[in-house]
Formats: sequence, structure tokens, C-alpha cells
Amino acid sequence: MGWDGALFVELIGNSFQLLWVIVPAVLFGIVIGALPGFSASNTLIILLPLTLTMDLDVALAFMASVYASSHLGGGIPAILVNMPGDGGSVPTTFDGYPMTLQGKGQQALVLCFVASTIGGLITSLATVALLPYLAPLGLYLRSVEMVVVMVFGLVLIAAIASDDLLKGLIGGFFGLMLGLIGADHIYSTPRGTFGFLELYDGVPIVAALIGLFAIAETFSMVEREAIVPKSETDIARPRWADTIDGLRINLKYWWQTIWTAFLGMLIGIVPGAGATIASFVAYQQSRMFSKTPHLYGTGHPPGIIAPESANNGVTSGTLVPLMAIGVPGGATSAVMMVVLQYQGIVLGPRLFIETPALAYGVFFYMTMSYAVMLLMILPLARYMSKVVNMPTRIIVPLIITLTIIGAFANREYIFDMWLALIFAVLGYLALRTGYHVTGLLIGILLGPLFEQYLLRSLRLGQGDLTILFSSTLANILWVLVVLSLLLPWLRTRQTQRALERAGDTARSGL
Amino acid sequence: MNNRIRAVSRRTFLGGAMAGAGTIAMPSLVRSQDAYPSETFRVVIPTRQGGGAERIARAFDAAWSQLLGQPFEYEFFPGAAGQIGYEVFVKQREHNGHNLLFGNMGPEMIMYATQKPDYKFPEDYIYFCRTDVDDSCVFVRKDSEFQDIQQVVDAAKQRALNVAVSRIPHPASIGILALGEQTGGTFNLVPYQGGNPTQVAVLNGEADIGTLPIAGILQLGDQFRVLTVFNKENIFAEQTNNAPPVNEVFGTTIPDLYSSRSWAVHTNWADENPDKFQKLVDTSKQVFEDPKFLEAYEKTGAPVEVIKYGDRETCTEYALSMVEFAQRYAEILSAEKG
Repeated sequence: MGWDGALFVELIGNSFQLLWVIVPAVLFGIVIGALPGFSASNTLIILLPLTLTMDLDVALAFMASVYASSHLGGGIPAILVNMPGDGGSVPTTFDGYPMTLQGKGQQALVLCFVASTIGGLITSLATVALLPYLAPLGLYLRSVEMVVVMVFGLVLIAAIASDDLLKGLIGGFFGLMLGLIGADHIYSTPRGTFGFLELYDGVPIVAALIGLFAIAETFSMVEREAIVPKSETDIARPRWADTIDGLRINLKYWWQTIWTAFLGMLIGIVPGAGATIASFVAYQQSRMFSKTPHLYGTGHPPGIIAPESANNGVTSGTLVPLMAIGVPGGATSAVMMVVLQYQGIVLGPRLFIETPALAYGVFFYMTMSYAVMLLMILPLARYMSKVVNMPTRIIVPLIITLTIIGAFANREYIFDMWLALIFAVLGYLALRTGYHVTGLLIGILLGPLFEQYLLRSLRLGQGDLTILFSSTLANILWVLVVLSLLLPWLRTRQTQRALERAGDTARSGL
Repeated sequence: MNNRIRAVSRRTFLGGAMAGAGTIAMPSLVRSQDAYPSETFRVVIPTRQGGGAERIARAFDAAWSQLLGQPFEYEFFPGAAGQIGYEVFVKQREHNGHNLLFGNMGPEMIMYATQKPDYKFPEDYIYFCRTDVDDSCVFVRKDSEFQDIQQVVDAAKQRALNVAVSRIPHPASIGILALGEQTGGTFNLVPYQGGNPTQVAVLNGEADIGTLPIAGILQLGDQFRVLTVFNKENIFAEQTNNAPPVNEVFGTTIPDLYSSRSWAVHTNWADENPDKFQKLVDTSKQVFEDPKFLEAYEKTGAPVEVIKYGDRETCTEYALSMVEFAQRYAEILSAEKG
């Protein structure tokens, strides 16, 4: 395997020597991630002519840092202005934005930063230690197992719908219906596109999340003077004490950070799966194992920690199949593959024997970028959180401009700008009428992936539905799905009974 | 004083702006009439980034961009089996010779035949420079139970075998369907939307076998075994343990089925600008003699033996033959039945 102490020391030395590229790349990545529509993969494609001319180590350090930090950046607008930078940051809005509205935006940012960086840090270190063993792990999660993983995400619709089941389910199924728009997964025949070429590839996720979340929220923001209600502005005033408070909460949920990061890493290893799936599944799992599932969605810290830690766990996971079997795990690793191939690097198992410094190096650079990120970003939470005190007459036009540009920038279609506005109206109407836009968005985000894995599985089963229960791993996952539906319900019932019992005791005491 | 400064700056600004606009516009007018190419080439690739098309295109442009004196920029439109890329190219890109398409003619012409999109070949675009001939092959993972193609067909006569394919409309998919038709085996095609996920499906064992162009398989040589090729001759006999051509084993009459990437340009631009088009044709042909191209391609780990030039006529003939094939298997290749 070519792995020894000298190599370890050499790679640590290299990582320090490359700090000159890692630091600016981290800053750049955070900005890219925070701007909706500007994903790491799109940016790296644009910058490819530049990276192809760099030394391989420099190029890899640059790309790994941009990629990792963009995942952290996405959480910032999600928390402060309900504007997720990408699909992976959507679950962060569920509890992040409510915390901001309660005047705890700074703590929420600290939760996001620490969970992201620690999650990313430990998984990239774990990848270095376990790389040859991790690669085959991704091969265990096949189409059938991925159907169940998708169901974990879709189950969230039911959880969100628990307040008003009918409205929640209507939203979720409407989202799933919208998710069916686009070319079918078997014959590539366009469906439900109304003749719009722009919809052949499905409903564009960026336009949907910008419209449903960010712009729809601005419509309701204009009804007040600042993002945070006046009664909470004193609490929202930035203080170092709040940063420390955020760290304290992080420490309290340290185990949550670790296991969701590994969950993200595992999902990242599966080629084709990514940060969106990981963050939704992590949020859903965190809620399932929680003793207080009813607090999720109200500004509960684990609701930020779980998705952020998971979507940063994905970053190292997604590079595993690229390095170990030569198949890119996602769009960003596909760009990295182009650079590696351009430099004549043959990917796959031989890489670890022939050039171990390169195979492991990328994970060392990623680890270094997470360490840099933590040091750089944590003190900034105090200043970033000031955004919420800005008058809405300034922040609202700013958000609308940025998001509309973001809707365009992702695919460079004017159509997407209009679509974002249509989704914004839909989102605003949903807010006003008590429908939850999250259910709708989960349908749009996970629906097409669910359909893809389901149709593939059914085709593999040659029409036999029992294929969905044909593997031990899938069956274990199915049991967990059922548990994840039952556990929160049982816990809530238990709490209600305890309250009733306490009430009875109090009455009999009187 | 302030007013004066403002007046002067306004005048200066207007004058400067006009001069600036003139400076920018004049050379571009002159350029657009005389010099070609005068700006960056924008290339539409109707497949995912990191795939075979990008691998060849970038290696090709290492030499071609120097011959043409302009760089290349790539955009990827993988959706709807490539239909989006073609529609964007035909309908939304200026027909000015600086917008090119680099596509995989085989699968994309089959898509053209089965989906009947809103553009016409060769009226709207023409392929003018084939870069490779990448034979379709049948492959299994290294530790598969199948040692040769005969065992695969024998098993397919007992039960329907799951075959991982990149897309259903693909020459390799037609190859395996033809093999089933002529030998009595049953093959169930499972599309994975790209070469990389198709390889993973064979690696993780959820598909019994896979069928793809051979170059990508040889690139990951350690992990797969090639069992047969859909061509008269297996030019990679050494690297594939002498895997025999399919017709040699079964005495079948399956035609040569391969993927061929090619550069394409808008037909009306080529017709209206024969000199400029000729420059594209000549320089692209020169690339095949340029060691920079082969070196860049070799670096990717893919076999250089697949590199083969083909002119406009060869490309058109191949593209139209793919349409014919697709029509023969239309019922299996498209969602429209009977």
C-alpha cells in the first residue's frame, strides 16, 4: 500500500507548504458556497484552464479547499436569511432560521461552523486511515439499498406534516409530482415539460430553492423593519459571549457531530449520492434518535449540527471512489478527475501503490483546509450575524438581486429567473396559508433520485417487486425506516402520558 | 468649481465612452470580416463532465487550440440522452463558427431517431471530424462467474441476464440486443446514464454483465475482464486476454457497433463560409499528426489505438447508419410501444 511514517510526515509538511493556496481557496469557497447558484463544481469547471496549468499538488489543494469550504459557506445564508446556497443546506434552514428569528443567529452560525469543520476534519482524517477499506463499502449500497436511503429522506415529509397532516402531505406529493418533470430515467423521453427545453433535465433545484425559500421569505420580510423582530433585536446584538455559547452547545452535542459526519461520509462514498441526500437523511436520523423530536423545526441546535456535519462528511467520502476505483463520486470529483487525467495520473487501486503521496495527499489538503476554515471563520460569526439587524429596505433588494442572479448563474437560462419568481409566489402563498414549503422542496429534491433508483431496481428485478426486500442490508434499512416513523410518535405519546400522569397527581394532591 | 469639474467629466466620460466603444467595436468588425477564428471557441458537450467525450475533447484541443490560435471553453448538457445539448447548440448558440459541439455520434443519433427532437440532421448541424472508433464490448468484473461470452449466452438462455448499459439508445445496447436475438438468449437492459455509473453497477455486482465502449473499460483494466467485442477484429486482443469478436464465436451477423466522437458545426455557417469551414476541417485533420494530441490522450490512460480520423462524409454515413439501426430496434429503444 506504500504507507509509512515518512510518507505521513512528508504529507503533513506538504500541507503546510501549500497553505499559500489553501487559505485563499478556503475564502473563495466560502463566498461561492454562500452565493446561491454558484456551486463548487460549476466554479471549478470555469477555473479549469487555470487549474490545468498548476502543479498537480497545488491544483488538488486548491480544488479540495474550494470544494470543502463551499459546503460550509452554504449554511451561512441558510441560517441568516433562510436562503440555502445549495440542496445540501436546505435542512439547515429548518432550525437555523428559526434560531435567527429568536435572536440567536450568532449561536446558530457557530453551531454550523463548528459542526461543518469538525465533521469535515474527522471524516477526512478517517478517510486517510481507512481509505482502502472504505472503497468497497460504497459498493454495498446498491440501487435497492439507495431506494431505502431515499425513503429515509422522504419520511421527513410525514414528520413535517405532523402538525397538519393533510396540508403537509399535499405539499409533499405536489413536490413529488414536480419532481417527475423532465426526461424519464429509462428511455430519456421528456415528460411534463410543456415543451420547455429548460425543463428536460427536471425542475432546476437552484431556482426552486431560491424561489421557495429565499425570495418567498423576502416577501414576508418586507412586512417588518428588520429580519429579527424588534422584540429580539437586543438579544441579536453581536457579542463574543454568544460565540462562546455556541461553542458550549456544540460541545454538548459532540456525539451528534461525529456520527452524522460519518453518516455523510458513507453516503458520499456511494457514487451518485451527494450532500443533499446526506443532509436530509442526517436530519431525519437525528430527529429519530432524539428524545425531543417535537423541538425539531423550532430552532433546535441538533437540527443545524446534523445536516451541516453530514454535508461536510460527504466531501471526503465523494473522493473515495475517484481515488480507489477511478470513478468520480459526484460533479466536483469529476472535475478533479479531469485534472488528474490531464496530468497523466491513472486512477484506481494501483494509485495507492504507485503514487501513495498523491492518493493520500488530497485528503491531507482537505484536512488542512478544514483546520484553516475553523480558525478563519469562527471569529467572523460575530460580524456576519449583524446582517440580521440591517433594515429590510436594504437587505430585501439585496437578497432578491443576489438570488435572481444566482438562479441565472447556475445554468445561464433566463427561464430559471422567471421560474424562481413563480416558485417565490408559490412559497409565499404556502407561508400565508399554512402549507409547509419544505415538504414541497423535499419532493422536488429527492423525488427524481428516488424515482431513478426505484425504476432501476424494478428493472433489475425484472418486474418482481420483492427485489426491494432482496438484500439483508436493504431489509435492515427498511426496519430502520419503520422505526424512524414509530419512534418519534411513541416518544411523543410517552411524554403526553407522563404529563397527564403529572397532572393527575397534582389534581389528587389538591 | 464643482460644476465645472462635473461638466468636464461628463463630457470626458461621453467622449471617452464613445471612443472606447469605437475602439472595441472597430477591431471586432474588422476581425469578424477577415480573421477566423477571432474569439474563444465555445463547445457544447452533450454528456457529463469527466466522461469519455471530455477526455478526448481536451486532449484534442491541446493541439487544435494552438493550430487555430484560440482557446476552447466547454459546457456540459448531459440531460435527456444528449437531446438538451443538441437543442441548445442548434437553437441557442450563435451560428458563427465559434460555437462547436463535440458529441458521441452513435448514441446521440440513436436518440435523434427514437426521440424525434425538434432539429434536423444534417440540415441543422454536420459532423466534420471523427476522432475515434471505440468498439462496443461486453465486460464483467474480474471475479465474475462468467469466463467467456459463450457462458454468458448459455446463462442468458436459462434466465434473463441483467446488463448494465450507459443508455438504452446506445450502439452497445443494440449490440447486446442483437446478440440475444440471434442466439436465443435474453438480456434485460438496465440504463445507468453514463459510463462511470455503468462500470460501478458491474463492479458492485447488481448487474450480471455490462456493455460499453472498450476504451473506458481498458482504462480501469485491473478491475474488469472483456469477453467480446462487437467488431470484425479485436484490436486490443493483447490487453483483453484474446477476447474474440462476437461473430467469430457464434457465427452471427451482427454489424460492427462502435462509438465515435466527432466535432460538429452549424450547417448553414459551414455552407455560407466555405473558406472558414475548410480551415476548421484542415486544422482538425492536422491534429492527428500532432504528437501533442496523442501524448495528451495517452496520459488519460485510455488506449491510443482507438484514435482514427474520419471526414465529413464518413461521419454522415455513420450517423445515418445509426438512425437506421435505431429504427430497426425502435420498439425496445424507446418508450413508445407498437
